[in-house]
Amino acid sequence: MNSRPINVAGLAVFAALLLLWELSSRSSPNLGAYLPPPSDALRSLFRFAVARELFSHLVDTLGRFLLGYVIAAALAVGLGIVLGYFRFAHSLCDVLIELLRPMPSVAIIPVAILLLGIGNTMMVAVTVYACAWPILLNTIDGVRNIDRTLIDTGRTFGLGRWKILRTIALPAAAPYVATGLRISLPIALILVTTSEMVVGGSGLGYFILDQERSFRITEMYAGIVVVALLGYVLNRIFVALEERMTVWHRGSTLRGRP
Amino acid sequence: MTWNRESKLNGFLVLLGVMAAWELAARAALFNPLLFPPMSKIVGSFFALLFSGEIPAQMLSSMRRAATGYFLAAIVFIPLGILMGLFNGVYRALEIVIESARPIPPPVIVPLAMLFFGLGDGMKVFTIFFSCAWPILLNTIDGVRNIDRVLLHTARTFGLSQGKTIASVIVPAASPQVMTGLRISLAITLILVVISEMVGSSDGIGYFILDAQRRLKVDRMYAGMLSLALLGYLLNQLFVLFSSRFLSWHRGMRAAR
Repeated sequence: MNSRPINVAGLAVFAALLLLWELSSRSSPNLGAYLPPPSDALRSLFRFAVARELFSHLVDTLGRFLLGYVIAAALAVGLGIVLGYFRFAHSLCDVLIELLRPMPSVAIIPVAILLLGIGNTMMVAVTVYACAWPILLNTIDGVRNIDRTLIDTGRTFGLGRWKILRTIALPAAAPYVATGLRISLPIALILVTTSEMVVGGSGLGYFILDQERSFRITEMYAGIVVVALLGYVLNRIFVALEERMTVWHRGSTLRGRP
Repeated sequence: MTWNRESKLNGFLVLLGVMAAWELAARAALFNPLLFPPMSKIVGSFFALLFSGEIPAQMLSSMRRAATGYFLAAIVFIPLGILMGLFNGVYRALEIVIESARPIPPPVIVPLAMLFFGLGDGMKVFTIFFSCAWPILLNTIDGVRNIDRVLLHTARTFGLSQGKTIASVIVPAASPQVMTGLRISLAITLILVVISEMVGSSDGIGYFILDAQRRLKVDRMYAGMLSLALLGYLLNQLFVLFSSRFLSWHRGMRAAR
C-alpha cells in the first residue's frame, strides 16, 4: 500500500511500556489487583465465554452507533442545507441554535430517559442529538461559503433553484459536511458508551462499568481494548471513505499538489 | 423603519413563540404534566435554585474539577506537544503509544479511573485530563510543525539560543493553533465532567440533573440543564474574549480582518 517505513522507535517505546507494565504487575500483587498484566487482559479476550459476551455487547454498541450516526447525518445535512441556503429560515432558528448548542450534549440523557425510557430508542436518540450539532453547523457553513461565482454561473446557464442546489451547492459544500461528519464520529461513540453506562443493560459501556463494579478487572481492560479497537477501525473506515468521495476536491487544494 | 426579513429579531420571536407554546401546552395538559412542566415553573425553579445557592454550589464543585483537569492537561501536553513538534525523534518514539490510546472513547476511562481514584475528585480530574490530552497535544504538534521556516532561519541568523527561540519565536507562532486545541478541549471538559458526575458522584451539576430525573423533580432537571447551557455559553464567551486579547497581534497578520 503506502511505503511509509515502520516506526521502529515508536514500536520499541510501546513494547517497553507494555513490558514495564507486565513486570511491575507481576512482581507486585497489590498493584496487579488494579492493573493486571496486559498479557492476562489479552488472554481473556480469547477465552470463549468472555469473547462471546464481548462480541454480543460489541454488536449492540455498533448497532446503536450506526443507527444514531446515520440518522443524525441525514437529518443534519438536510436541515443544514435548508438553513444555509435560505437566510430567512436561518434567522428564525438562529437564537434556538445558539441557546442549545453550548449545553454539553450528555445533559440530554436524563431528559431522554424520562421521555423514551431506558431502551435502544433512548440511546439512539441522544446519539442523534449530539452528532447532529457538528454536522449541522458545518453544513450551514459549507453552503454559505460557496463561491458566488459558481451559483451565478449556474444561473447564467439557466439552471433552476433545485438544479443549482443539487449540482453545485451540494458538491461544493461536501468538504465541510465531511468535516462535520468526522467531528461527530467520536462524539457518537462517547454518547453511546455514556448512555450505556448510565442506563445499563447491554453494550460495551455497560460491560466495562459492570466489570469494574464486580471487580473483574482483567475483563474490564479487555473491554477497553475492544472499544479502542472499535474507535480505531471506525476512524480508518471513515478516512478511507472520505478520501474516495472527495478525490475531486483534493486536486483543487494545496494538499493535492504534486 | 422597514422590517428586515432576516433580522436578528426573528430568532428571539421564535424563541418566545416556542416558550409560549410550551407554557400553553403544559397548562392545557396536552402532554404528560409530569414530563412537561410549564415553562414558567421551570424558569421559576431555576431562579429559586439560583438564589438559594443550590445550583451555584453544585456548579462550583463541578467547575473545580473541570478547571483542575483542564489546566493540568494544558500544563502537561502543551510542552510535550512543542517537544514532539520540534524533534521528530520524540514524535516517532511516542507516536504509537499515543495512536493506540487516542481511539479510546473518554467515557470508558471513567470506570478505570474509579478503580484507581475511587469516587472522589481525583477520578473526575483524571478523566478530564485524559480526554483533553488529545486535542491539545495534536493541535500543538501541528502548530509547531506548520511554523514558517523563514521565522526559524531568522531566529538562527540573529543568533538566538534554542531556549530563546522556543520562548520568543516558536511558542507565539504556534499559539493560534494551541488555542484551537484548548477551545476544543473546553467543550470536551464540560461533557466529561457531566459524564463522570452522572456515573459516580454525589454532587456536581451532572449528578444534580440525573438525580432530579430519578426523583422525578422534572422542573429541577430542566433548571439544571438551563444553567449548564448558560455555563457553557459563558465559558465559551470568556474563552473567545481571552484568546482574542491574547492573539490580537495575530489577527492583523491574517488576510481576513
